[in-house]
Amino acid sequence: MLVSILRQGDYLLASINAALDDSEMRRFQEALVERIGDERCRGVIIDVAALDVLDSYAAATLGSLADMARLRGAETVVVGVSPEIAFTMVQLGMSIPHVHTALDLEQGLQVLGRLTSPLPPPRP
Amino acid sequence: MSAARPVAPPAGAPAPAELLEIRTIVRRVIASRVRDSHMVDDLVQETLAKVLTAWGRIDPDTAIPYAIATARNVVASTWRHLDTTERNLHRVVDLLPADRPEDAVLDREEGDAVATALTHLPDRDRALLVAHDVEGRELAELARESSTSPGALAAQLKRTRARLRVEYLLAMDHREPPTPQCRPVLLALSGGDRRRQRELDVSGHLLACPYCADLGRPLSQRASDGTSTRIAVGADADVVLARQTGRDVAISLGFSATDGTVIATAISEVTRNIVKFAGTGEVRIGRLQEPARCGLLVVARDAGPGISDVDLALRDGHSTYGGLGLGLPGCRRLMDEFVVESESGRGTTVTMRKWRSTGGPGGR
Amino acid sequence: MTSTRESGEGPLLGPQADQDDRGWSDDKQLLPELVAHLREHRSQLQKEWSGRITQAHLLTSMTPQEIHSETTSVYDNYVEVLETGSVEALRHYARDLSERIIPRGVETHEVVGIVLLLRDVLARSLFQKYADDFTLLDHVLDAYEPAANRIANTVAVSFVDERERVIRQQQDAIRELSTPVLQVRERLLILPIIGVLDTERARQLTEQLLAGIRTHRAKVVVIDTTGVPDVDESVANHLVQTVDASRLMGASVIITGLSSKIAQTLVTIGVDLGKMNTIGDLQGGIEEAERQLGFQVIRRDDAASAPSG
Repeated sequence: MLVSILRQGDYLLASINAALDDSEMRRFQEALVERIGDERCRGVIIDVAALDVLDSYAAATLGSLADMARLRGAETVVVGVSPEIAFTMVQLGMSIPHVHTALDLEQGLQVLGRLTSPLPPPRP
Repeated sequence: MSAARPVAPPAGAPAPAELLEIRTIVRRVIASRVRDSHMVDDLVQETLAKVLTAWGRIDPDTAIPYAIATARNVVASTWRHLDTTERNLHRVVDLLPADRPEDAVLDREEGDAVATALTHLPDRDRALLVAHDVEGRELAELARESSTSPGALAAQLKRTRARLRVEYLLAMDHREPPTPQCRPVLLALSGGDRRRQRELDVSGHLLACPYCADLGRPLSQRASDGTSTRIAVGADADVVLARQTGRDVAISLGFSATDGTVIATAISEVTRNIVKFAGTGEVRIGRLQEPARCGLLVVARDAGPGISDVDLALRDGHSTYGGLGLGLPGCRRLMDEFVVESESGRGTTVTMRKWRSTGGPGGR
Repeated sequence: MTSTRESGEGPLLGPQADQDDRGWSDDKQLLPELVAHLREHRSQLQKEWSGRITQAHLLTSMTPQEIHSETTSVYDNYVEVLETGSVEALRHYARDLSERIIPRGVETHEVVGIVLLLRDVLARSLFQKYADDFTLLDHVLDAYEPAANRIANTVAVSFVDERERVIRQQQDAIRELSTPVLQVRERLLILPIIGVLDTERARQLTEQLLAGIRTHRAKVVVIDTTGVPDVDESVANHLVQTVDASRLMGASVIITGLSSKIAQTLVTIGVDLGKMNTIGDLQGGIEEAERQLGFQVIRRDDAASAPSG
């Protein structure tokens, strides 16, 4: 299975388990956005630790995924970006502007807890 | 070790003792450079012959330095000659004698194919090829006879050999080429003529025509250095394959994990462009070896519509398909060298190089 | 057909090996004889060699005793390599020699010098021995010279390689020392940058910091640039990239100690300082980091200068 999406409380935990090509990435985006709406969840954690690269297409997909999720009422946190990928992304000149990041699942949950607390702080 | 035969001294020759002394020195100079004892004998004689020929013109006091210099030159020109011979070795015709019965059959088949191939050559080309390669006559001599320059003949010979390789492969295959394009494409491939290959859209044709892709393999192998990996690109999944291959090659060349990811990402970007804009193409990944450094070469080619304005495409934020517009300009930042060649309607070639940074574990 | 290439130059050990074996086999009887001669006159030849070394003012950094023991071992190994002609033995010998003498401050020209001297001493001895029989001398030299050249070559190349390896090792060590990634508290890293930053170092620093973030599971990083005199545009960009990359891994970055010069550079190249969390000095930066991590900093009146935590 390339991707798994699990529900935990108010959140969805999506983990990418292998290198994805563009069409798989796009299908993953669609499936996740659909689940967010269907399950009325408030936060999404995407674990990208198994991705081999995060190139401009993958970054754009994650960015628009976060935008769509926000439109459907959920915040997105990307976790598991490796040092190599982080380094490459900044060399490439990429950022994922509306996406929060955390080191791992545990810290991702903390970030989401802060973001989706009863009175969510205004976005910076 | 066989002793060198005495050389008949011409008039005004040196005394035997003098000659013996020169011979010893020449032998040492050559033996320290050449391993093969028979070749040493040959070269010693050649050198001595040259020295003796020049004897009247040289000062007896400088005879020894002259002999040493001559010996060096003889060795150097032998190497040059060996190199040229090796480069121009026939790749197709195997002149070694056959041992087994089936070899005889194969030989005959090959012989027939060569004969058939020869009949397909224009008379003038065939005559030249036979005169030079079979009868072993010098180009300079042939040039004098036909009152052209040896250079022109060499070029003609090169074309003829390329042609012969193609005709031979066609004759061995016993099939007719499926399209009229095939023969010129194979010819361009065999000749290693880049310009002609572009004109004919060779890469596009090879992707479309399985016949030529099959037959062209030995021809393109001849041109390549044999150290590169080729990935045919035609679908999304090939992007993943190409970048993972790139990372593996990079790691095997001693690049760090970070550089492996950097390289894989750059390959991902250029390969995606092939899928998006041209549909099909190829990515070649190979190693670069220079005396002082080692690196990785990526060449991504397609025969698609091409980029009308390369400068614009290399500008940040310019995206034609709703991406971040970071593909090509980002690659330029990721790699050490980055060149895009594109011609509208003819396709695009992206060449990227990354050198292994110093300070890493030195591999030897 | 074998392609015969330069044998006097370059470390082309592989292809040379089998050719040598063939070349030497012609002189099968000669070589043992030659080696036996060199063994027989060992002490005399070695003495002569040591004398020549002293004369040429080589190995001045070593004591006479050291020179004696080194030359003994070098001599024996040399003859052994001549005898076996084994590339493996030769390589081992060269590496061994370099490893032993580099720490003593021996220079490249000295190593090459002593090996060439030995080659010369031995050649002279062979000349004397075979002076009567000219043809035989010719053959002996044919066997001896290529082998001796090859030894000199391999030793020189190996020596330079070994030195480069030592230098590389030292460079790496210095680099690591110069950019320590320190954990001062759970989830808090400090990266004090001291000295001139160039692109290569900035790149290594970024890689080390990112690896450190993962290892220590850091959430906040304080980069202190007090010790950086100046940065150029590309290094400033690296700094910005470091901040961005850390953020991608989920760590926030606080930059402290920006000199006015660096601040100017950052503004000139158009860095959005609003995106960068900058604080005047390291102390303030650590306090801010602790605040972000949820530590409460209580300042007691009698210890106002030192934050407690």
